[in-house]
Amino acid sequence: MQKTILIVEDEFIIAMDLKVILERLGWRVLGPVPKVANALRLLEDELPTLALLDVNLGDQLVTPVAEALRSRGVPFAVASAYDKPELIGGAVLAGVPNAGKPTSEWSLLEVLAKLSPP
Amino acid sequence: MDLEDLYRILRTGHVQAQGIVDTVPDPMLVLDSALTVQSANRAFFRTFAVDRYDTIGQHLYDLGNGQWDIPELRRLLGEVIPKSSAVIDYKVEHDFPHIGKKIMLLTARTVFNPDNVSHLMLLSIVDITDRSRKEAEFEAVFGELRHRLKNVLGLVRALANQTKAEGVSGEEYRTAFLGRLQAVADANDLALSDHGDDSLDALVARATKPFQTAPETIIVEPSPPLTLASKEIMSLSLLLHELATNAVKYGALSAPAGTVRIRWEVEQGDHPLLRLSWRESGGPPVRKPASTGYGTQLIQFAIAYNLGGNVEQNYRTEGFEAEIVVPLERAARPD
Repeated sequence: MQKTILIVEDEFIIAMDLKVILERLGWRVLGPVPKVANALRLLEDELPTLALLDVNLGDQLVTPVAEALRSRGVPFAVASAYDKPELIGGAVLAGVPNAGKPTSEWSLLEVLAKLSPP
Repeated sequence: MDLEDLYRILRTGHVQAQGIVDTVPDPMLVLDSALTVQSANRAFFRTFAVDRYDTIGQHLYDLGNGQWDIPELRRLLGEVIPKSSAVIDYKVEHDFPHIGKKIMLLTARTVFNPDNVSHLMLLSIVDITDRSRKEAEFEAVFGELRHRLKNVLGLVRALANQTKAEGVSGEEYRTAFLGRLQAVADANDLALSDHGDDSLDALVARATKPFQTAPETIIVEPSPPLTLASKEIMSLSLLLHELATNAVKYGALSAPAGTVRIRWEVEQGDHPLLRLSWRESGGPPVRKPASTGYGTQLIQFAIAYNLGGNVEQNYRTEGFEAEIVVPLERAARPD
């Protein structure tokens, strides 16, 4: 079965870019979605294999999505400009792999490998 | 020298010393070995809102109803000072009953009197409450700036990666990429401007300027003033750029007599809406493209993704038209 990944990112150009890169890497993308509410709605219908989250979604934080993923056992990474996302988004983000921003294809591959060991 | 002279010299010396102590801008106390206040300067009285008569001759810990009886200060004066001749910039935080919380740097220096076994202590108190607050504010602003910078670089990376490179020349790629980069840079400029340039008017003027080959090429019809939120500026800037680029390549602006008319209106109500229309005329006959390119996708996405609006693109034979509808957040209010 094809692996799926949820993308939560509020900046539309970056969201489009992540989608294209991940599809090229063979993933089926859920979203991308810009807001917490959109993400939680998607999670009601389908649980992805993994998720990639931006931390600061403009006027809101991604934290409730991270908590929902954690409680359902879905591993996730962040793609954040913050060095310590847990200081912004709370303890649920502590120790989570960060693909950074700008997000290179190489750093995406690295965090995806961390989340899904062979 | 008689006693009279000696007394005069001593008194002058004392007055001079007091004068020197008074010119020191930071609060300062002169204490004897029993920690009784021998002297204090003006800055001390002013900063801690106390009176000279209630201060001189008092024990340090009795001053102002014991407001200087601070555990950290007791440790400094009781344990640290006897073992070293000076303590520099010892940080103490204390909540004073009348003047509130203060963060202070204490510097204490023991001064021995060679004619006497006793010694004096100079205690200077630098009030860094304001400075600490400003440093914390600076740290927060700097952190936000660092975050924004990385986000902008992320945006530029995504634009470079998203601009079509397949089947085009290096020059074509560069032109397309730099055009989009300019639209992002313009949006950034307008959003961060402190001259009230965050209006739709200013944005339309800026975004269409590179395409105004003649004065009547792009006509902005009278439309109501509207202030935009920064993400609206970013999306609309890219949208206008893509529309204008397409018009130059395939639409009205590819012909000498072609024009574009832009106008907008604001629909008031519980959920205010911006309706912006882009109408081309005088160009070659329009045919609907067989496939939609990245530009068209960018136009849709720019408006739909996080502005929650939509774009209707109409390929009329006489001229291409686009109707853009954007729900306005409270931040973007008509002025």
